[in-house]
Amino acid sequence: MAHRGGERDFQTSARRMGTSLLFQLSVHERELDLVFLDHSYAKPWSAHPDASSARPTRMLFVTPRRQHESTIESDVPIDVETVVSTPVPLYDNQKARSVMNECERHVIFARTDADAPPPPEDWEEHVNRTGWTLAQNKLFNKILKALQSDRLARLANEGACNEPVLRRVAVDKCARRVRQALASVSWDTKLIQWLHTTLVETLSLPMLAAYLDALQTLKGKIPTLIDRMLVSSNTKTGAAGAEALSLLLKRPWDPAVGVLSHNKPSKLPGSPLILIASSGPSSSVFPTSRRHRFWQSQLSCLGKVVPVATHLLPGGSGAGVLQCLEHMVGALRSKVLEIHSHFPHKPIVLIGWNTGALVACHVSVMEYVTAVVCLGFPLLTVDGPRGDVDDPLLDMKTPVLFVIGQNSLQCHPEAMEDFREKIRAENSLVVVGGADDNLRISKAKKKSEGLTQSMVDRCIQDEIVDFLTGVLTRTEGHVGSEPRDQDAEKKKKPRDVARRDLAFEVSERGSRPASPAAKLPASPSGSEDLSSVSSSPTSSPKTKVTTVASSQKSSQIGSTQLLKRHVQRTEAVLTHRQAQAQFAAFLKQNMLVRKALPPGTSSCLFVPISSEQTEEAEKEELRVQLKRHHPSSPLAGSKTCKRPKIKVSLISQGDAAGGPCAPSSGAAPEGECLFACDGAPVFVSRSSASEGGVSASQASSVVSSSASPSALHTLQSRLVAPSSGGSLPGAASASSLLQGLSFSLQDISSKASGLPASPSPGPAPQAASVKLPTPAQSLGAVTTGAGSIVRAVPVATALSSLGATPGGKPTAIHQLLANGGLAKLASSLPGLAQISNQASGLKVPTTITLTLRGQPSRITTLSPVGTGAAPSEEPASQVLPSNSQRLPPAP
Amino acid sequence: SWRRERKPPSGNAKAEPALPSSANQSKAVSEKPNYALKFTLEGHTEAVSSVKFSPNGEWLASSSADKVIIIWGAYDGKYEKTLKGHNLEISDVAWSSDSSRLVSASDDKTLKLWDVRSGKCLKTLKGHSNYVFCCNFNPPSNLIISGSFDESVKIWEVKTGKCLKTLSAHSDPVSAVHFNCSGSLIVSGSYDGVCRIWDAASGQCLKALVDDDNPPVSFVKFSPNGKYILIATLDNTLKLWDYSRGRCLKTYTGHKNEKYCVFASFSVTGGKWIVSGSEDNLVYIWNLQTKEIVQKLQGHTDVVISAACHPTENIIASAALGNDKTVKLWMSTY
Repeated sequence: MAHRGGERDFQTSARRMGTSLLFQLSVHERELDLVFLDHSYAKPWSAHPDASSARPTRMLFVTPRRQHESTIESDVPIDVETVVSTPVPLYDNQKARSVMNECERHVIFARTDADAPPPPEDWEEHVNRTGWTLAQNKLFNKILKALQSDRLARLANEGACNEPVLRRVAVDKCARRVRQALASVSWDTKLIQWLHTTLVETLSLPMLAAYLDALQTLKGKIPTLIDRMLVSSNTKTGAAGAEALSLLLKRPWDPAVGVLSHNKPSKLPGSPLILIASSGPSSSVFPTSRRHRFWQSQLSCLGKVVPVATHLLPGGSGAGVLQCLEHMVGALRSKVLEIHSHFPHKPIVLIGWNTGALVACHVSVMEYVTAVVCLGFPLLTVDGPRGDVDDPLLDMKTPVLFVIGQNSLQCHPEAMEDFREKIRAENSLVVVGGADDNLRISKAKKKSEGLTQSMVDRCIQDEIVDFLTGVLTRTEGHVGSEPRDQDAEKKKKPRDVARRDLAFEVSERGSRPASPAAKLPASPSGSEDLSSVSSSPTSSPKTKVTTVASSQKSSQIGSTQLLKRHVQRTEAVLTHRQAQAQFAAFLKQNMLVRKALPPGTSSCLFVPISSEQTEEAEKEELRVQLKRHHPSSPLAGSKTCKRPKIKVSLISQGDAAGGPCAPSSGAAPEGECLFACDGAPVFVSRSSASEGGVSASQASSVVSSSASPSALHTLQSRLVAPSSGGSLPGAASASSLLQGLSFSLQDISSKASGLPASPSPGPAPQAASVKLPTPAQSLGAVTTGAGSIVRAVPVATALSSLGATPGGKPTAIHQLLANGGLAKLASSLPGLAQISNQASGLKVPTTITLTLRGQPSRITTLSPVGTGAAPSEEPASQVLPSNSQRLPPAP
Repeated sequence: SWRRERKPPSGNAKAEPALPSSANQSKAVSEKPNYALKFTLEGHTEAVSSVKFSPNGEWLASSSADKVIIIWGAYDGKYEKTLKGHNLEISDVAWSSDSSRLVSASDDKTLKLWDVRSGKCLKTLKGHSNYVFCCNFNPPSNLIISGSFDESVKIWEVKTGKCLKTLSAHSDPVSAVHFNCSGSLIVSGSYDGVCRIWDAASGQCLKALVDDDNPPVSFVKFSPNGKYILIATLDNTLKLWDYSRGRCLKTYTGHKNEKYCVFASFSVTGGKWIVSGSEDNLVYIWNLQTKEIVQKLQGHTDVVISAACHPTENIIASAALGNDKTVKLWMSTY
């Protein structure tokens, strides 16, 4: 066994060292692999039980420091002849040279008059400057100087072994200078159009080619400005020439592009959801940086990417940094929770840049996620490096990968090592040589090592894949194991590596296994891995496996997990019970925030935490949660982390909500969640069900059981029993139903589209019942989540379509929202009012506030008045003033 | 200016009787060269300022204060042609990599680009405001670099003859400019005592090498592999620097060099030598590693201003100032 294991390790190492693009590209330290290559009995880095959870640092493009030779003086013979052979470029040189000269080859397209002889070599003397204004002269000279520098660089680099990279660097520089020159005249349309025309007419062909190269580069960065510049010439030139030119300008070249596109990274196993934490508040005015967008698309090669954006308060100039940070944490956290409840077994990977990385780490302390990847890490603060004894980050349990730049200002590799020693989570560090906070390498580095940013980015991506593959294919219980298990777990690591790669290779072989069961034989460690497989499901149905897993593990798992398993099982049955279970699963999703209200308020606030997180009150709440979680999470272990949290906050008049709260909290797993129940929610869900059919099949069963309180209770137990083992007291169900409403609303926006990797087919019937006209659009919305406003637009349409039922009749929700209040509803349904009074003994609330997860635009479309201004303003609660973060006393 | 003095041409090569050059020949076989005078090339009418072998080994070009360049056969010293065009004395001449072009630097403030086959001047590079003193091609030979008494270094495009960049970082006349073997770096030396390394592509100064007491730099060049630079200073010293570490590795002394910008060279075809002219009318040859003088070539009657090594054979060409006006070819078996 040991022998076989060693062999596998050897293969692993050999594969990684020999074939990966990463290896070829980078200067790596591979001590770990070398250990494996040594002897079958050689111990890996983590063999010792007390070994820290910090894996050895990996160096990307970090040039090894030259050893200090002290006595070179006369002893060492000096070789003045031998030219140190330069390494073969990492890209396809021939191809790179070909694309590099594209502009030169097609320069003729730019010529306005292709038949006229090109300007002579001494064109400069022939430029007729008479009539030029001072500004024109100045601009022309600036451009000319930039082009001359570029010319020098081209000539000087000619024939160099890494000429394409050097050319790229030079062209970028020239483009920058041209851009500066154009910016110096404020992109004055008339002036820049004149410039373009003049340059095209007068420049010699080589210079014109250089100019086109610069334009091509700029076009990728500032397309509209460049287009504005080209307008006049396009009208002059023939259509064909203009088209060819625009085609040429549309394709900026990259030396490594061929290699990188030929070696695309494969998807991660277990089809995880990749959540990108925003590193600051975003707005439509200042969209996320191009680099981040680029990375987002890169990461989408690995799995489904969901960027989580944080928006500033509307007109929230006064928002403090702390508030903003809390928003970011809250937004990400609620997204995690949402995904947990929608896809209980979907692995979640949090990725963030700098501050976003920090946010991701903090969220990973609070909620269960599979892994965290920090791209850049703000380790150094004004108060010194992070990692003091009271730093909550030290309690991280989630495997984390840090990728930092060698020249980063916010971080230092050595300080990072200290920090890594302190955190308990298994962690890896990748240092990118010569890179800054955003992992961009310097120009000098590009030149000296013949690199491009795209190559470096790919290597970073490979590192991420490497890390995540390892984490994702490990057993589910692994991460959450008790501290005492960690030793054993570490001892297993060498095998994990092998296992990981096997699994990886399986998935790499192209044809994804039809079912995860096919993966099972590949798993070397047998039954203990079953749950791991089930935790990382492929898109295929996984009913069998999960059932096995759940039955095997049932003795150890707590009630929540039991609940989860049951959900799984019911999915497997694929009856309408499945929908019920699904419903139950969604019950867990909603965070209902309990709020202290001034006495006398009789409003009911039902607030699933929105991604906007604009309500101050919620922030308060969150802060409380943060505080509560920090001390508890390390002790409670990952079981608590994994458990989806249900938060219910019901604002009812006075302290009355406190009463019903008690029984329902028993239903909530581990008492994490507070259920408060009130009659009101029942109305909502029922009315929505009966009138609009918005909620799913189980909702229609609600209709059937209409008015009688006992029937309601029966229904509730029927609904909830399968998931909670029948332990739910009836009182809780009312709020569950309320949640159900929120679910159905949210679900329409997200679930209806049916994520391709959705583990359960459950949502489908519900979606069908809603009959979204544009599921594809809402799919886009799901992937971007609450991300950008632009992308949220489809959601808006989807939701607005929700407003009208298939029959064209306004749905209950619509009605509810339009009519502005439950009171009306309640009075219109006397039977229900009766129930509510029976169930809680409370007055019918006058207001219901609905906050929907997601975009402002969604909510505003829901709003009948269409007040688009205030995101997360509750349209239904027109009773409330729009900025009422703290609810005012109800009228 | 600095390397010229003398008088009229006749254009013939006198063959020396073949003689074993020195007494200690048997011992020298492995450790010392045995350069012997083979040909004396007479033709220039003034001081010769520079001699260079063509990269293909076929030709030898010599520039002179008599305003002309003469091309000679490298192996037989046979007179080939004279390139005429400059109005004033020529201080330096350089070959393109394909041996088809020559560039010359003259006191008439211009450089001229010559086609060797036709002997025609292709371009005149104008831009310097004082004597042009030194020049070189880059390895792809699409650029020319020149140093001048106007204290600037200019980079020219061969094809158009346009100056693409002016590097002004010296505070005294520039005495030598040279590209490294890959063409990525330029080294320039100046009377201000500073050697500067430039990035050829951007024209940025990457490094400045200054010795403790900064004597005027009279000559500088990269080693054949571009890892080291050889710097001659007007304190009778030649130094080999590892410029990447900014360290002087070897010092070669024994010759006389206080006044003129005397060329020096790496000889790598046989043993590894450093070859330099000297103001005591001799050619000095040092062992590159041990720094010993391994041979002195006697024959010139004035300051040996220039010494060049053949690219493939053990041949040294030397040229002397106005009292002598000749170019001499020396050959060795090692």
